[in-house]
Amino acid sequence: MQPINHSPRLLAAPLLAGLLTACGTSSVVVQGSYPAPNINPLPLRVAVHYDDALRGHRYTEFNERGREEFTVASGQSHIRLFNAVLPAMFAEVVQVGAVEEAAALEVDAVFAPAIDEFQLGLPSKTMLGVYEVWVQYNMRLLTPEGELIADWLARAYGKTPQQNFRSSEASIEQAAIVALRDLASTFALRFEQVPEVRDWLAERQ
Amino acid sequence: MKTLLVIAAMLLLAACTNTVVQEDRRGTTGIESDESVVVLGRRHLMEYETDTDFVACVGGQIARGSDGIPVVPEQEFIDSMFPWFEPRTAPLHASDLGRLMTEEEVAARIREFGIRYIIWVDGRTETTDSGGALSCTIAPGGGGCFGFGTWEDDAEFEAHVWDVDALADVGFIKTDATGQSYMPALVVPIPLLARVEANACNRLGTQLKEFVRGG
Repeated sequence: MQPINHSPRLLAAPLLAGLLTACGTSSVVVQGSYPAPNINPLPLRVAVHYDDALRGHRYTEFNERGREEFTVASGQSHIRLFNAVLPAMFAEVVQVGAVEEAAALEVDAVFAPAIDEFQLGLPSKTMLGVYEVWVQYNMRLLTPEGELIADWLARAYGKTPQQNFRSSEASIEQAAIVALRDLASTFALRFEQVPEVRDWLAERQ
Repeated sequence: MKTLLVIAAMLLLAACTNTVVQEDRRGTTGIESDESVVVLGRRHLMEYETDTDFVACVGGQIARGSDGIPVVPEQEFIDSMFPWFEPRTAPLHASDLGRLMTEEEVAARIREFGIRYIIWVDGRTETTDSGGALSCTIAPGGGGCFGFGTWEDDAEFEAHVWDVDALADVGFIKTDATGQSYMPALVVPIPLLARVEANACNRLGTQLKEFVRGG
């Protein structure tokens, strides 16, 4: 029986490949589908404007040495979320490419959401055993002419426990989906309680 | 060899679970054949969230057997009730249920599912104590482990039963399961695991089924 000869080159190749993989940036694209809320729609015709920053939102998490560790692309998932939520909240929703387009569409208001801040909590840094996602939004409701009706902050939080046999990427995506659902639920249920929105709705009655 | 077998047998017997179940009934219960229940996990606290697998296990236990009760799957219920049963919007007290049922869409969905009881499960499993030392070595000629590890798990869960018809909390069942697991290793590690969470699930599910069936 011949002894097996392990060539150092053969052993070095997978080791190097593993090291390179460990040094690379992991990309997370948040997918997720979102249910439509079961709420009574307001009798309003609303235009919605998603700016380029929201559509292409991408967050980068750096490690302790300042190198890119994770990138989280959630822009398209946010668009899917708002497209599921807004038609349930308002009688009619139209999408516009620019706020200025709304004036010609005879809408009651224009809604323009934006992401202010996105944060990631990794178990390797927080030692909490959970992956966490925090998002702060700047929500704006405008008149068709572009004047401000209401401008408020909304916060969303999602977490998912660290699990054996589940990748960090899958856990981050899951935490982001939980955060987006959190945004949708609180936004849908508390929209009318935003003081400026409440006053504006009262004036219209 | 005999000594090893005796030790293994002893440990096998020792790796068992102690489960305590407490019930507090506050109202009468009963369920018709066309009615169902839904088991939901509490996830509003920052420190922990009730494991979805445990919630599904309890639901499976309630639905199992000839006396099983129809159980609506947790995620299906949460999705179809969206946004009313999300971690930050779900009712925390039975008194909130009355207000929630005034929402036409919510009441209609609950009627569609035929839900008579909402069961809220809250808790987690924690490793409370661990000890021993176990080391493994891999060398070109082979590998192996040597040593002994042990740890204790504690699964503490509480289930509150809300009667959708009476809009009231009709009682709760609390289960606390503890168990010591062992991992002796002489070349190959032999895990002797205490099925703490599985036992907590079985006992809680069985007790909940009896509770809902009547009294």
